[in-house]
Amino acid sequence: MKKDPTRKLTPRAIRAWQWSAAFGNLFYFAIPGAYLAYFGLEDSFHLWIAGIGVVVIFLLWLSGIVFFPYIRWKRWRYSVDQHEIDLKRGILVVQRTLIPLSRVQHVDTRQGPILRWYKLASVTISTAATTHEIPALDEVIADRVRDTISKYARLAEEDV
Amino acid sequence: MSDFQRQHPVAAITRAVDLVRGNFVTIVVLMVVGASGSGGVTFAWWLAGLFLFLLVSGTAGWWRFVYRVEKGELQIRQGIFVRKNLFLTRDRIQVIDVTAGIIQRMFGLVSVEIKTAGSTSREASLSAVSRSEAHRLTDLLRNGELHGEGEEAEAAAVEQTRKTYHLPAKELLIAASTSGSFGIALSIIATIFSQIEPLISETELYEWFLAVIPSEADGTLILSLVAVFVLFAWLMSFFGTLLTYGDFTLTLEEDEMVIRRGIFEKKQITVPFNRIQAVRVVEGMLRQPFGYGTLYVESAGYGDQKGSGSVVIFPLMKSSEIELFLGEVLPGYRGTVKAEKPPLRAVTRYIIRSTLVLALVLAGVWGVLNASAWIWILLIPGIFWGWLRHHDAAVGVDQERIILSSRVLARTTAMVRKERAQDLHVSSSMIQRFRGFADLEVSVASGDQGRSFRIRDLEADTPERLLPWITKEHNVELSPDGAETPAKLVPGWG
Repeated sequence: MKKDPTRKLTPRAIRAWQWSAAFGNLFYFAIPGAYLAYFGLEDSFHLWIAGIGVVVIFLLWLSGIVFFPYIRWKRWRYSVDQHEIDLKRGILVVQRTLIPLSRVQHVDTRQGPILRWYKLASVTISTAATTHEIPALDEVIADRVRDTISKYARLAEEDV
Repeated sequence: MSDFQRQHPVAAITRAVDLVRGNFVTIVVLMVVGASGSGGVTFAWWLAGLFLFLLVSGTAGWWRFVYRVEKGELQIRQGIFVRKNLFLTRDRIQVIDVTAGIIQRMFGLVSVEIKTAGSTSREASLSAVSRSEAHRLTDLLRNGELHGEGEEAEAAAVEQTRKTYHLPAKELLIAASTSGSFGIALSIIATIFSQIEPLISETELYEWFLAVIPSEADGTLILSLVAVFVLFAWLMSFFGTLLTYGDFTLTLEEDEMVIRRGIFEKKQITVPFNRIQAVRVVEGMLRQPFGYGTLYVESAGYGDQKGSGSVVIFPLMKSSEIELFLGEVLPGYRGTVKAEKPPLRAVTRYIIRSTLVLALVLAGVWGVLNASAWIWILLIPGIFWGWLRHHDAAVGVDQERIILSSRVLARTTAMVRKERAQDLHVSSSMIQRFRGFADLEVSVASGDQGRSFRIRDLEADTPERLLPWITKEHNVELSPDGAETPAKLVPGWG
């Protein structure tokens, strides 16, 4: 049995995810809206359905802010050494990925507006077949991780 | 050094044909719409207009397409309005394919496709050049110099001694009649129908059906309609396969294999050995009972129109001969390894996955349409299918390779060498964790995107134990002796 990866994401990731969940999931409130737009406001039956829909979506929206970012952060582990990148994450579906350094084609850091506000960045690792992401690391750490991976990858260089 | 030059003027025709082929449905619809509006005179005008447009755009495309080889670099300038410059250096070129389509063959020409590891590869193709020009290009881009005649003859002599495999006529016929493209043919016919459908008003169609089908719902008529439909699809796939894989040869060169196939459209595919990412054996539903399978390789360099890197290296082969064939062609992929199957208690999950959709549909038909309870009998093949999928799932490793065998409809056995596996991925849902299962997935490079092979519901600790396999330093012992998980040897043919 392989030991779990050791390093965690920067705790500020929780804040960043909370904001992006708060904005990103607003979209779901359009569903009961569309329902009412289709069936009209006269019938109280449809009003009830839409009302229940709004309450359920609100609860999901709230837990998407309050619980999920925290659990997600708690579950996220990664580690990088000379031979491999090890990623473990997931709330409902737990996923674990092992990428040998010799297969890494390129690695880059990315930063959206929310991540930038919290001085975070994500590291994206591409192989010839797949792309993986370490989502929210402190800017400085992200740069360091990127450079480390790139250095190890060059050492482990092998043709595809 | 050399100046930019144009292709053979026939390129204008092939370009026009490509345009028609690519927009066939649109053209047909436009024609019909244009014709239905008014009398026959307008229809002729439409036709003439289309012809003129094709002529002009084909010629302009040919005129604006120039290429040259300069310092080992292929330079292509193309585009009628937007000028595109494509420069390919020799080092990046992976495969040069010389193909002769029907139009090319009429003029004694060939088309040359230059493939690199990216998606740009599809743009670098010369659609009509003479055979000698193709030779010159290939030499320039392969070796950076022109070969003399003598050397070429010598090369031809060497080629004589190289091993060539042919597809025997009997195998070709079997391949054609059991072709998996049967389903594709069905969907093509269905697509044609769905394209025709908007042209005829729905009520008309309905009335026509009512007129044709007797009111007392004659079952035999419907059945025979279905039978005709199926027969038509089968014939389409039969001749399709015959034309695609007729005249099939596989030639082993020093560091690449060359596949030549096709009756009207001669296609040549070159796959360098060092670009092969995985070998896949697919035993189709109709073929496996007769002990036949199809061999594919996944290649990083080769990409067809859809960006997939799968190449058929042998269309049909006795499963018992695959081992021998691999030993001669791709020795790194032969031999069996000890493998582990999903545990027996996972069979319920396989069956549920295979029957869930069917069961929901049946429940709908039964509950809403008040159908007879006998329809639940249809679940039995679903259950059998689930059992079969469980039965055929297995994963095995040795020092150098991982072999994954699984089934959707056809049984697929994927063989990946360690240095070609891009990553290993283990995942488990909440229910899987509760019941102690996990999925294992291996990704390999293939065409533009890559491809992955997955085995579901293995004993939870199996994938975890397998993880370290992918890095060089580890040697994993799968299923230690005395383990209660069922073991078998993969690939299990022969």
